[in-house]
Amino acid sequence: MDGITPVDCVDMKVKRGEVFGILGPNGAGKTTLIKMLCTLILPTSGDARVNGYDVVKESGKVRESIGFVTTDERSFYWRLTGRQNLEFFASLHNFYSKEARDMVDEVLEVVNLKDHADERFLNYSAGMKQSMAIARGLLNDPEVLFMDEPTRSLDPGAAQSLRDFIRQHIVKERGKTIFISTHNLDEAEQLCDRVAIFDGGRINVVGSPEELKGNLGSDSGLCDVFLHYTGKRFEERCEGEGATSRPTRPDRKGFSHRGGFGMRRRGL
Amino acid sequence: MTMIFRKVLSFVRRSYMLQMSYKFEFFLRIFFMFFNILTYYFVAKLIGTAGQKYLEPYGGDYFSFVLIGIAFSAYLMISLRGFSESVRDEQMMGTLEAMLVTPTNTSTIITLSTLWNFIFASFRVLLYLVIGVFLGVNLVGANVLGALIILVLTIICFGSIGILSASFIMIFKRGDPINMLFMSTSELFGGVFFPIGVLPSWLQTVSHLLPMTYSLNGMRHALLQGYSLQDLAPDMVTLVLFSALLLPASLLAFRYAVRKAKIDGTLVHY
Repeated sequence: MDGITPVDCVDMKVKRGEVFGILGPNGAGKTTLIKMLCTLILPTSGDARVNGYDVVKESGKVRESIGFVTTDERSFYWRLTGRQNLEFFASLHNFYSKEARDMVDEVLEVVNLKDHADERFLNYSAGMKQSMAIARGLLNDPEVLFMDEPTRSLDPGAAQSLRDFIRQHIVKERGKTIFISTHNLDEAEQLCDRVAIFDGGRINVVGSPEELKGNLGSDSGLCDVFLHYTGKRFEERCEGEGATSRPTRPDRKGFSHRGGFGMRRRGL
Repeated sequence: MTMIFRKVLSFVRRSYMLQMSYKFEFFLRIFFMFFNILTYYFVAKLIGTAGQKYLEPYGGDYFSFVLIGIAFSAYLMISLRGFSESVRDEQMMGTLEAMLVTPTNTSTIITLSTLWNFIFASFRVLLYLVIGVFLGVNLVGANVLGALIILVLTIICFGSIGILSASFIMIFKRGDPINMLFMSTSELFGGVFFPIGVLPSWLQTVSHLLPMTYSLNGMRHALLQGYSLQDLAPDMVTLVLFSALLLPASLLAFRYAVRKAKIDGTLVHY
Protein backbone atom coordinates (compact mmCIF):
# COMPACT_ATOMS: atom_id res chain seq x y z
CA MET A 1 0.00 0.00 0.00
CA ASP A 2 1.13 3.53 -0.73
CA GLY A 3 1.27 6.01 2.13
CA ILE A 4 0.06 3.88 5.03
CA THR A 5 1.81 1.36 7.24
CA PRO A 6 0.34 -2.10 6.66
CA VAL A 7 -1.17 -3.89 9.64
CA ASP A 8 -0.72 -7.65 9.71
CA CYS A 9 -1.69 -10.61 11.93
CA VAL A 10 -3.34 -8.51 14.65
CA ASP A 11 -5.32 -10.73 17.00
CA MET A 12 -6.71 -9.21 20.18
CA LYS A 13 -9.77 -8.49 22.27
CA VAL A 14 -10.56 -5.37 24.29
CA LYS A 15 -12.87 -5.67 27.29
CA ARG A 16 -15.82 -3.36 27.85
CA GLY A 17 -14.87 -0.45 30.11
CA GLU A 18 -11.17 -1.06 29.62
CA VAL A 19 -8.51 1.48 28.66
CA PHE A 20 -6.48 -0.34 26.06
CA GLY A 21 -3.28 1.18 24.75
CA ILE A 22 -1.41 0.55 21.54
CA LEU A 23 2.18 1.44 22.29
CA GLY A 24 4.62 1.81 19.47
CA PRO A 25 6.97 4.23 17.76
CA ASN A 26 6.06 6.49 14.83
CA GLY A 27 5.32 4.46 11.73
CA ALA A 28 4.43 1.31 13.67
CA GLY A 29 0.92 1.19 12.16
CA LYS A 30 -1.03 2.45 15.19
CA THR A 31 -3.03 4.99 13.22
CA THR A 32 -3.73 2.49 10.45
CA LEU A 33 -5.11 0.05 13.01
CA ILE A 34 -7.32 2.70 14.62
CA LYS A 35 -8.59 3.88 11.24
CA MET A 36 -9.47 0.31 10.32
CA LEU A 37 -11.48 -0.06 13.51
CA CYS A 38 -13.15 3.30 12.81
CA THR A 39 -14.09 2.08 9.27
CA LEU A 40 -11.94 4.72 7.55
CA ILE A 41 -9.66 2.06 6.06
CA LEU A 42 -10.95 -1.27 4.77
CA PRO A 43 -9.00 -4.38 5.75
CA THR A 44 -8.00 -6.55 2.79
CA SER A 45 -8.41 -9.74 4.84
CA GLY A 46 -9.47 -10.91 8.28
CA ASP A 47 -12.29 -9.49 10.34
CA ALA A 48 -12.78 -7.08 13.21
CA ARG A 49 -15.73 -6.20 15.39
CA VAL A 50 -16.32 -3.06 17.41
CA ASN A 51 -19.06 -3.07 20.03
CA GLY A 52 -20.14 -6.38 18.45
CA TYR A 53 -20.46 -4.98 14.90
CA ASP A 54 -18.40 -6.03 11.90
CA VAL A 55 -16.28 -3.11 10.67
CA VAL A 56 -16.91 -3.97 7.01
CA LYS A 57 -20.44 -5.37 6.88
CA GLU A 58 -21.94 -3.18 9.62
CA SER A 59 -19.80 -0.08 9.28
CA GLY A 60 -22.75 2.26 9.92
CA LYS A 61 -23.51 0.55 13.25
CA VAL A 62 -19.83 0.72 14.16
CA ARG A 63 -19.77 4.47 13.51
CA GLU A 64 -22.88 4.92 15.67
CA SER A 65 -21.02 3.24 18.54
CA ILE A 66 -17.74 5.08 18.42
CA GLY A 67 -16.13 8.44 18.96
CA PHE A 68 -12.84 9.31 17.28
CA VAL A 69 -10.38 11.77 18.77
CA THR A 70 -7.64 12.80 16.41
CA THR A 71 -4.68 15.09 17.01
CA ASP A 72 -5.24 16.85 13.70
CA GLU A 73 -6.19 20.43 14.59
CA ARG A 74 -7.26 20.94 11.00
CA SER A 75 -10.21 18.60 11.47
CA PHE A 76 -12.35 21.57 12.59
CA TYR A 77 -13.66 24.59 10.69
CA TRP A 78 -11.31 27.25 12.03
CA ARG A 79 -13.50 30.20 11.09
CA LEU A 80 -16.51 28.85 12.95
CA THR A 81 -16.90 28.96 16.70
CA GLY A 82 -16.42 25.91 18.88
CA ARG A 83 -20.17 25.66 19.39
CA GLN A 84 -20.95 25.99 15.67
CA ASN A 85 -18.43 23.25 14.92
CA LEU A 86 -19.90 20.89 17.49
CA GLU A 87 -23.48 21.56 16.40
CA PHE A 88 -22.54 20.72 12.83
CA PHE A 89 -20.84 17.47 13.83
CA ALA A 90 -23.80 16.66 16.10
CA SER A 91 -26.04 16.76 13.02
CA LEU A 92 -23.79 14.18 11.36
CA HIS A 93 -24.54 12.00 14.39
CA ASN A 94 -28.25 12.64 13.72
CA PHE A 95 -28.79 15.07 16.59
CA TYR A 96 -30.62 18.25 15.65
CA SER A 97 -32.12 21.43 17.14
CA LYS A 98 -32.61 21.36 20.90
CA GLU A 99 -31.28 17.84 21.31
CA ALA A 100 -28.07 18.85 19.52
CA ARG A 101 -27.75 22.07 21.52
CA ASP A 102 -28.22 20.17 24.81
CA MET A 103 -25.68 17.57 23.71
CA VAL A 104 -23.17 20.25 22.76
CA ASP A 105 -23.68 22.12 26.05
CA GLU A 106 -23.13 18.90 27.94
CA VAL A 107 -19.85 17.98 26.24
CA LEU A 108 -18.61 21.57 26.46
CA GLU A 109 -19.27 21.40 30.19
CA VAL A 110 -17.39 18.11 30.41
CA VAL A 111 -14.28 19.52 28.73
CA ASN A 112 -14.63 22.82 30.56
CA LEU A 113 -14.93 24.95 27.43
CA LYS A 114 -18.41 26.36 27.89
CA ASP A 115 -17.08 29.87 28.52
CA HIS A 116 -15.14 29.79 25.24
CA ALA A 117 -17.79 28.05 23.15
CA ASP A 118 -18.68 31.14 21.13
CA GLU A 119 -15.12 32.06 20.24
CA ARG A 120 -13.75 31.16 16.84
CA PHE A 121 -11.85 27.88 16.78
CA LEU A 122 -8.82 29.63 15.28
CA ASN A 123 -8.39 31.58 18.53
CA TYR A 124 -8.14 28.46 20.70
CA SER A 125 -4.89 27.29 22.26
CA ALA A 126 -3.50 23.84 21.37
CA GLY A 127 -4.90 22.44 24.62
CA MET A 128 -8.36 23.89 23.95
CA LYS A 129 -8.32 22.49 20.42
CA GLN A 130 -7.51 19.05 21.76
CA SER A 131 -10.28 19.39 24.36
CA MET A 132 -12.63 20.27 21.51
CA ALA A 133 -11.55 17.10 19.72
CA ILE A 134 -12.47 15.13 22.83
CA ALA A 135 -15.79 16.98 23.11
CA ARG A 136 -16.55 16.04 19.52
CA GLY A 137 -15.60 12.43 20.23
CA LEU A 138 -18.12 12.37 23.09
CA LEU A 139 -20.98 13.99 21.14
CA ASN A 140 -22.86 10.76 20.46
CA ASP A 141 -22.15 9.34 23.92
CA PRO A 142 -20.16 6.49 22.29
CA GLU A 143 -19.58 3.05 23.75
CA VAL A 144 -16.00 3.07 22.51
CA LEU A 145 -13.72 6.07 22.21
CA PHE A 146 -10.75 5.85 19.88
CA MET A 147 -7.95 8.28 20.65
CA ASP A 148 -5.02 8.60 18.29
CA GLU A 149 -2.07 10.05 20.23
CA PRO A 150 -4.29 12.61 21.97
CA THR A 151 -1.48 14.43 23.77
CA ARG A 152 0.98 14.60 20.87
CA SER A 153 0.73 18.33 20.21
CA LEU A 154 0.44 19.43 23.84
CA ASP A 155 3.05 20.84 26.20
CA PRO A 156 3.92 18.60 29.18
CA GLY A 157 1.59 20.39 31.62
CA ALA A 158 -1.37 20.34 29.25
CA ALA A 159 -0.67 16.72 28.36
CA GLN A 160 -0.69 15.70 32.03
CA SER A 161 -3.93 17.61 32.61
CA LEU A 162 -5.50 15.86 29.66
CA ARG A 163 -4.39 12.44 30.93
CA ASP A 164 -5.88 13.22 34.35
CA PHE A 165 -9.06 14.39 32.68
CA ILE A 166 -9.33 11.21 30.57
CA ARG A 167 -8.82 9.03 33.65
CA GLN A 168 -11.20 10.92 35.89
CA HIS A 169 -14.02 12.09 33.63
CA ILE A 170 -14.10 9.76 30.69
CA VAL A 171 -13.08 6.49 32.29
CA LYS A 172 -14.21 6.73 35.94
CA GLU A 173 -17.29 8.93 35.58
CA ARG A 174 -18.55 7.96 32.15
CA GLY A 175 -17.25 4.38 31.99
CA LYS A 176 -16.19 4.47 28.36
CA THR A 177 -14.10 1.82 26.67
CA ILE A 178 -11.01 3.59 25.42
CA PHE A 179 -8.69 2.46 22.68
CA ILE A 180 -5.73 4.79 22.73
CA SER A 181 -2.59 4.87 20.64
CA THR A 182 0.50 6.44 22.08
CA HIS A 183 4.25 6.52 21.70
CA ASN A 184 4.63 7.84 25.23
CA LEU A 185 5.59 5.29 27.86
CA ASP A 186 4.45 7.36 30.84
CA GLU A 187 1.11 7.91 29.20
CA ALA A 188 0.67 4.19 28.61
CA GLU A 189 1.55 3.41 32.23
CA GLN A 190 -0.70 6.10 33.67
CA LEU A 191 -3.76 5.51 31.54
CA CYS A 192 -3.93 1.96 30.30
CA ASP A 193 -5.29 -1.15 31.97
CA ARG A 194 -3.54 -3.17 29.27
CA VAL A 195 -1.14 -2.28 26.51
CA ALA A 196 -0.17 -3.94 23.25
CA ILE A 197 3.43 -3.48 22.16
CA PHE A 198 3.05 -2.71 18.48
CA ASP A 199 5.77 -2.56 15.86
CA GLY A 200 5.96 -3.06 12.11
CA GLY A 201 2.20 -3.43 11.92
CA ARG A 202 2.20 -6.39 14.33
CA ILE A 203 1.35 -6.91 17.96
CA ASN A 204 4.29 -8.40 19.81
CA VAL A 205 2.75 -8.81 23.25
CA VAL A 206 -0.35 -7.76 25.22
CA GLY A 207 -0.68 -7.33 28.97
CA SER A 208 -1.05 -4.87 31.80
CA PRO A 209 1.97 -2.60 32.27
CA GLU A 210 2.67 -4.28 35.61
CA GLU A 211 2.50 -7.78 34.14
CA LEU A 212 4.75 -6.92 31.24
CA LYS A 213 7.32 -5.23 33.44
CA GLY A 214 7.07 -7.93 36.11
CA ASN A 215 7.86 -10.66 33.58
CA LEU A 216 11.26 -9.09 32.98
CA GLY A 217 12.29 -8.49 36.57
CA SER A 218 11.46 -6.20 39.44
CA ASP A 219 13.16 -3.02 38.22
CA SER A 220 12.18 -3.24 34.56
CA GLY A 221 10.34 -0.48 32.76
CA LEU A 222 8.21 -0.41 29.63
CA CYS A 223 11.38 0.56 27.75
CA ASP A 224 12.79 -2.83 28.61
CA VAL A 225 9.54 -4.51 27.68
CA PHE A 226 9.62 -2.83 24.29
CA LEU A 227 13.28 -3.75 23.80
CA HIS A 228 12.65 -7.33 24.87
CA TYR A 229 9.72 -7.95 22.53
CA THR A 230 10.82 -5.98 19.47
CA GLY A 231 14.60 -5.98 19.66
CA LYS A 232 14.40 -2.18 19.28
CA ARG A 233 14.17 0.57 21.80
CA PHE A 234 12.50 3.87 22.32
CA GLU A 235 15.49 6.15 21.83
CA GLU A 236 14.84 9.20 24.00
CA ARG A 237 13.37 7.57 27.07
CA CYS A 238 15.75 4.64 27.09
CA GLU A 239 18.86 6.58 26.09
CA GLY A 240 21.76 5.60 28.32
CA GLU A 241 19.78 2.95 30.10
CA GLY A 242 21.66 0.14 28.43
CA ALA A 243 20.32 -3.34 28.81
CA THR A 244 18.97 -2.64 32.24
CA SER A 245 16.47 0.02 33.01
CA ARG A 246 16.64 2.90 35.38
CA PRO A 247 13.96 5.27 36.53
CA THR A 248 12.90 7.90 34.07
CA ARG A 249 14.38 11.33 34.75
CA PRO A 250 11.59 13.64 35.81
CA ASP A 251 13.21 16.67 34.14
CA ARG A 252 12.91 14.99 30.73
CA LYS A 253 9.36 13.91 31.22
CA GLY A 254 7.35 14.28 28.10
CA PHE A 255 9.82 16.21 25.96
CA SER A 256 10.43 14.80 22.56
CA HIS A 257 12.27 15.53 19.36
CA ARG A 258 9.41 17.41 17.74
CA GLY A 259 8.10 19.50 20.57
CA GLY A 260 5.45 16.97 21.46
CA PHE A 261 5.57 13.75 23.32
CA GLY A 262 7.09 10.61 22.04
CA MET A 263 10.02 8.47 21.27
CA ARG A 264 11.98 7.87 18.17
CA ARG A 265 13.10 4.60 16.77
CA ARG A 266 16.78 4.16 16.18
CA GLY A 267 18.55 1.88 13.80
CA LEU A 268 15.50 0.98 11.75
CA MET B 1 -37.43 12.42 5.28
CA THR B 2 -37.41 14.92 8.14
CA MET B 3 -33.95 13.73 9.13
CA ILE B 4 -32.45 14.29 5.67
CA PHE B 5 -34.12 17.71 5.47
CA ARG B 6 -32.57 18.68 8.81
CA LYS B 7 -29.23 17.38 7.65
CA VAL B 8 -29.56 19.45 4.49
CA LEU B 9 -30.25 22.53 6.61
CA SER B 10 -27.26 21.78 8.77
CA PHE B 11 -24.89 21.62 5.78
CA VAL B 12 -26.36 24.76 4.24
CA ARG B 13 -26.02 26.59 7.56
CA ARG B 14 -22.38 25.53 7.92
CA SER B 15 -21.51 26.58 4.37
CA TYR B 16 -23.35 29.88 4.76
CA MET B 17 -21.46 30.67 7.97
CA LEU B 18 -18.15 29.78 6.34
CA GLN B 19 -18.99 31.90 3.29
CA MET B 20 -20.07 34.82 5.46
CA SER B 21 -16.82 34.63 7.39
CA TYR B 22 -15.28 35.84 4.11
CA LYS B 23 -17.80 38.64 3.49
CA PHE B 24 -15.46 40.77 1.39
CA GLU B 25 -14.88 37.95 -1.11
CA PHE B 26 -18.61 37.25 -1.27
CA PHE B 27 -19.53 40.83 -2.14
CA LEU B 28 -16.62 41.16 -4.60
CA ARG B 29 -17.89 38.15 -6.52
CA ILE B 30 -21.35 39.67 -6.77
CA PHE B 31 -19.95 43.09 -7.69
CA PHE B 32 -17.76 41.83 -10.54
CA MET B 33 -20.65 39.81 -11.92
CA PHE B 34 -22.21 43.12 -13.00
CA PHE B 35 -19.11 43.95 -15.06
CA ASN B 36 -19.38 40.61 -16.79
CA ILE B 37 -23.00 41.24 -17.73
CA LEU B 38 -22.30 44.79 -18.89
CA THR B 39 -19.48 43.57 -21.13
CA TYR B 40 -21.86 41.29 -23.00
CA TYR B 41 -24.51 44.02 -23.09
CA PHE B 42 -22.16 46.31 -25.04
CA VAL B 43 -20.87 43.48 -27.23
CA ALA B 44 -24.50 42.80 -28.10
CA LYS B 45 -24.96 46.47 -29.00
CA LEU B 46 -21.99 46.25 -31.32
CA ILE B 47 -23.26 43.09 -32.98
CA GLY B 48 -26.76 44.54 -33.42
CA THR B 49 -28.67 42.49 -35.96
CA ALA B 50 -25.59 41.00 -37.61
CA GLY B 51 -26.27 37.50 -36.33
CA GLN B 52 -30.00 37.65 -36.97
CA LYS B 53 -29.98 34.57 -39.20
CA TYR B 54 -28.56 32.35 -36.46
CA LEU B 55 -30.36 34.04 -33.55
CA GLU B 56 -33.85 33.90 -35.06
CA PRO B 57 -34.89 30.63 -33.29
CA TYR B 58 -34.09 32.32 -29.95
CA GLY B 59 -35.88 35.61 -30.53
CA GLY B 60 -33.19 37.39 -32.55
CA ASP B 61 -31.53 39.36 -29.75
CA TYR B 62 -27.87 38.51 -28.98
CA PHE B 63 -27.87 39.94 -25.43
CA SER B 64 -30.83 37.74 -24.41
CA PHE B 65 -29.14 34.77 -26.06
CA VAL B 66 -25.77 35.23 -24.38
CA LEU B 67 -27.26 36.18 -21.00
CA ILE B 68 -29.05 32.83 -20.76
CA GLY B 69 -25.85 31.19 -22.02
CA ILE B 70 -23.48 32.66 -19.41
CA ALA B 71 -26.02 32.44 -16.58
CA PHE B 72 -26.76 28.76 -17.04
CA SER B 73 -23.32 27.69 -18.24
CA ALA B 74 -21.90 28.99 -14.93
CA TYR B 75 -24.53 26.87 -13.24
CA LEU B 76 -23.62 23.87 -15.34
CA MET B 77 -19.92 24.32 -14.62
CA ILE B 78 -20.61 24.35 -10.90
CA SER B 79 -22.63 21.16 -11.25
CA LEU B 80 -19.66 19.69 -13.04
CA ARG B 81 -16.99 20.81 -10.60
CA GLY B 82 -18.96 20.96 -7.36
CA PHE B 83 -18.55 17.37 -6.19
CA SER B 84 -14.85 17.09 -6.89
CA GLU B 85 -14.20 20.54 -5.38
CA SER B 86 -16.16 19.62 -2.25
CA VAL B 87 -14.14 16.44 -1.81
CA ARG B 88 -10.93 18.35 -2.32
CA ASP B 89 -11.90 21.28 -0.06
CA GLU B 90 -12.83 18.99 2.82
CA GLN B 91 -9.63 16.98 2.28
CA MET B 92 -7.53 20.15 2.38
CA MET B 93 -9.36 21.58 5.40
CA GLY B 94 -8.81 18.26 7.14
CA THR B 95 -12.48 17.89 8.03
CA LEU B 96 -13.31 14.98 5.72
CA GLU B 97 -12.03 12.29 8.07
CA ALA B 98 -13.94 13.70 11.05
CA MET B 99 -17.12 13.64 8.97
CA LEU B 100 -16.58 10.15 7.57
CA VAL B 101 -16.28 8.64 11.04
CA THR B 102 -19.89 9.63 11.82
CA PRO B 103 -22.98 7.52 10.99
CA THR B 104 -23.78 9.76 8.00
CA ASN B 105 -22.74 7.84 4.90
CA THR B 106 -20.05 9.00 2.50
CA SER B 107 -22.34 9.72 -0.47
CA THR B 108 -24.63 11.89 1.66
CA ILE B 109 -21.66 13.84 3.01
CA ILE B 110 -20.24 14.49 -0.45
CA THR B 111 -23.62 15.38 -1.95
CA LEU B 112 -24.65 17.72 0.84
CA SER B 113 -21.23 19.37 0.91
CA THR B 114 -21.92 20.44 -2.68
CA LEU B 115 -25.32 21.89 -1.93
CA TRP B 116 -24.13 25.39 -1.10
CA ASN B 117 -22.46 25.69 -4.52
CA PHE B 118 -25.80 24.94 -6.16
CA ILE B 119 -27.62 27.46 -3.98
CA PHE B 120 -25.05 30.15 -4.69
CA ALA B 121 -25.18 29.34 -8.43
CA SER B 122 -28.99 29.61 -8.38
CA PHE B 123 -28.70 32.98 -6.67
CA ARG B 124 -26.30 34.11 -9.39
CA VAL B 125 -28.59 32.87 -12.17
CA LEU B 126 -31.48 34.75 -10.59
CA LEU B 127 -29.38 37.93 -10.40
CA TYR B 128 -28.31 37.52 -14.03
CA LEU B 129 -31.94 37.27 -15.09
CA VAL B 130 -33.10 40.22 -12.98
CA ILE B 131 -30.30 42.43 -14.28
CA GLY B 132 -31.04 41.16 -17.79
CA VAL B 133 -34.69 42.21 -17.48
CA PHE B 134 -33.57 45.69 -16.41
CA LEU B 135 -31.33 45.81 -19.49
CA GLY B 136 -34.16 44.86 -21.83
CA VAL B 137 -34.37 41.06 -21.88
CA ASN B 138 -38.00 40.06 -22.37
CA LEU B 139 -39.08 37.15 -20.18
CA VAL B 140 -42.79 37.97 -20.18
CA GLY B 141 -43.86 34.90 -22.15
CA ALA B 142 -41.45 32.50 -20.45
CA ASN B 143 -42.56 28.92 -19.83
CA VAL B 144 -41.36 28.75 -16.23
CA LEU B 145 -42.48 25.16 -15.67
CA GLY B 146 -40.64 24.03 -18.79
CA ALA B 147 -37.53 25.91 -17.69
CA LEU B 148 -37.68 24.30 -14.23
CA ILE B 149 -38.01 20.80 -15.70
CA ILE B 150 -35.00 21.43 -17.92
CA LEU B 151 -33.14 22.78 -14.91
CA VAL B 152 -33.83 19.64 -12.87
CA LEU B 153 -32.76 17.39 -15.77
CA THR B 154 -29.68 19.52 -16.21
CA ILE B 155 -28.76 19.14 -12.55
CA ILE B 156 -29.16 15.35 -12.70
CA CYS B 157 -27.20 15.12 -15.92
CA PHE B 158 -24.33 17.42 -14.98
CA GLY B 159 -24.36 16.30 -11.36
CA SER B 160 -23.75 12.76 -12.66
CA ILE B 161 -20.75 13.96 -14.64
CA GLY B 162 -19.65 15.82 -11.49
CA ILE B 163 -19.85 12.60 -9.45
CA LEU B 164 -17.79 10.81 -12.13
CA SER B 165 -15.27 13.61 -11.82
CA ALA B 166 -15.21 13.29 -8.01
CA SER B 167 -14.51 9.56 -8.40
CA PHE B 168 -11.34 10.38 -10.32
CA ILE B 169 -10.32 12.93 -7.68
CA MET B 170 -10.91 10.35 -4.96
CA ILE B 171 -8.42 7.95 -6.56
CA PHE B 172 -5.97 10.09 -8.53
CA LYS B 173 -6.26 13.29 -6.40
CA ARG B 174 -5.49 15.54 -9.39
CA GLY B 175 -5.72 15.43 -13.18
CA ASP B 176 -9.37 14.51 -13.55
CA PRO B 177 -9.97 13.92 -17.31
CA ILE B 178 -13.79 14.10 -17.10
CA ASN B 179 -13.78 17.65 -15.81
CA MET B 180 -11.11 18.76 -18.28
CA LEU B 181 -12.96 17.18 -21.21
CA PHE B 182 -16.33 18.76 -20.45
CA MET B 183 -14.95 22.12 -19.31
CA SER B 184 -12.87 22.57 -22.44
CA THR B 185 -15.48 21.43 -24.94
CA SER B 186 -18.77 22.67 -23.49
CA GLU B 187 -18.16 26.41 -23.84
CA LEU B 188 -16.92 26.09 -27.41
CA PHE B 189 -19.33 23.48 -28.71
CA GLY B 190 -22.25 23.77 -26.26
CA GLY B 191 -23.66 27.04 -27.58
CA VAL B 192 -22.83 29.32 -24.65
CA PHE B 193 -21.66 32.40 -26.57
CA PHE B 194 -22.99 31.71 -30.06
CA PRO B 195 -25.59 29.41 -31.64
CA ILE B 196 -24.09 26.10 -32.72
CA GLY B 197 -25.48 26.82 -36.21
CA VAL B 198 -22.42 29.08 -36.66
CA LEU B 199 -20.11 26.04 -36.50
CA PRO B 200 -19.25 23.99 -39.59
CA SER B 201 -21.57 21.01 -39.81
CA TRP B 202 -18.87 18.48 -38.90
CA LEU B 203 -18.16 20.39 -35.67
CA GLN B 204 -21.87 20.54 -34.91
CA THR B 205 -21.67 16.75 -34.56
CA VAL B 206 -19.49 17.33 -31.48
CA SER B 207 -22.09 19.76 -30.12
CA HIS B 208 -24.79 17.12 -30.39
CA LEU B 209 -22.77 14.82 -28.13
CA LEU B 210 -22.76 17.35 -25.28
CA PRO B 211 -25.61 17.63 -22.74
CA MET B 212 -24.97 21.37 -22.47
CA THR B 213 -26.21 21.89 -26.05
CA TYR B 214 -29.64 20.49 -25.13
CA SER B 215 -29.77 22.24 -21.74
CA LEU B 216 -29.09 25.68 -23.17
CA ASN B 217 -31.23 25.12 -26.23
CA GLY B 218 -34.20 24.04 -24.11
CA MET B 219 -33.65 26.79 -21.54
CA ARG B 220 -33.53 29.52 -24.20
CA HIS B 221 -36.62 28.21 -25.95
CA ALA B 222 -38.49 27.98 -22.62
CA LEU B 223 -37.46 31.39 -21.27
CA LEU B 224 -37.14 33.53 -24.38
CA GLN B 225 -39.67 31.94 -26.73
CA GLY B 226 -42.11 30.42 -24.24
CA TYR B 227 -42.10 27.04 -25.99
CA SER B 228 -44.72 24.58 -24.73
CA LEU B 229 -43.74 21.36 -22.93
CA GLN B 230 -44.50 19.49 -26.14
CA ASP B 231 -42.13 21.73 -28.11
CA LEU B 232 -39.45 21.26 -25.45
CA ALA B 233 -39.86 17.47 -25.42
CA PRO B 234 -36.95 16.63 -27.79
CA ASP B 235 -34.43 18.46 -25.59
CA MET B 236 -35.99 17.03 -22.43
CA VAL B 237 -35.96 13.44 -23.76
CA THR B 238 -32.32 13.78 -24.79
CA LEU B 239 -31.41 15.04 -21.30
CA VAL B 240 -33.36 12.14 -19.76
CA LEU B 241 -31.37 9.70 -21.91
CA PHE B 242 -28.07 11.31 -20.92
CA SER B 243 -29.14 11.12 -17.25
CA ALA B 244 -30.25 7.49 -17.53
CA LEU B 245 -26.81 6.62 -18.85
CA LEU B 246 -24.68 8.86 -16.66
CA LEU B 247 -26.35 8.63 -13.23
CA PRO B 248 -25.98 4.86 -12.64
CA ALA B 249 -22.49 4.91 -14.18
CA SER B 250 -21.41 7.75 -11.91
CA LEU B 251 -22.83 6.14 -8.76
CA LEU B 252 -21.07 2.86 -9.57
CA ALA B 253 -17.82 4.69 -10.25
CA PHE B 254 -18.10 6.66 -7.01
CA ARG B 255 -18.81 3.55 -4.95
CA TYR B 256 -15.78 1.85 -6.52
CA ALA B 257 -13.60 4.94 -5.91
CA VAL B 258 -14.56 5.20 -2.21
CA ARG B 259 -13.92 1.50 -1.70
CA LYS B 260 -10.54 1.67 -3.43
CA ALA B 261 -9.53 4.78 -1.46
CA LYS B 262 -10.58 3.06 1.76
CA ILE B 263 -8.53 -0.05 0.97
CA ASP B 264 -5.52 2.06 -0.04
CA GLY B 265 -5.96 4.27 3.04
CA THR B 266 -5.95 7.38 0.85
CA LEU B 267 -9.49 8.61 1.47
CA VAL B 268 -8.31 11.84 3.08
CA HIS B 269 -5.15 12.33 1.02
CA TYR B 270 -5.00 15.16 -1.50
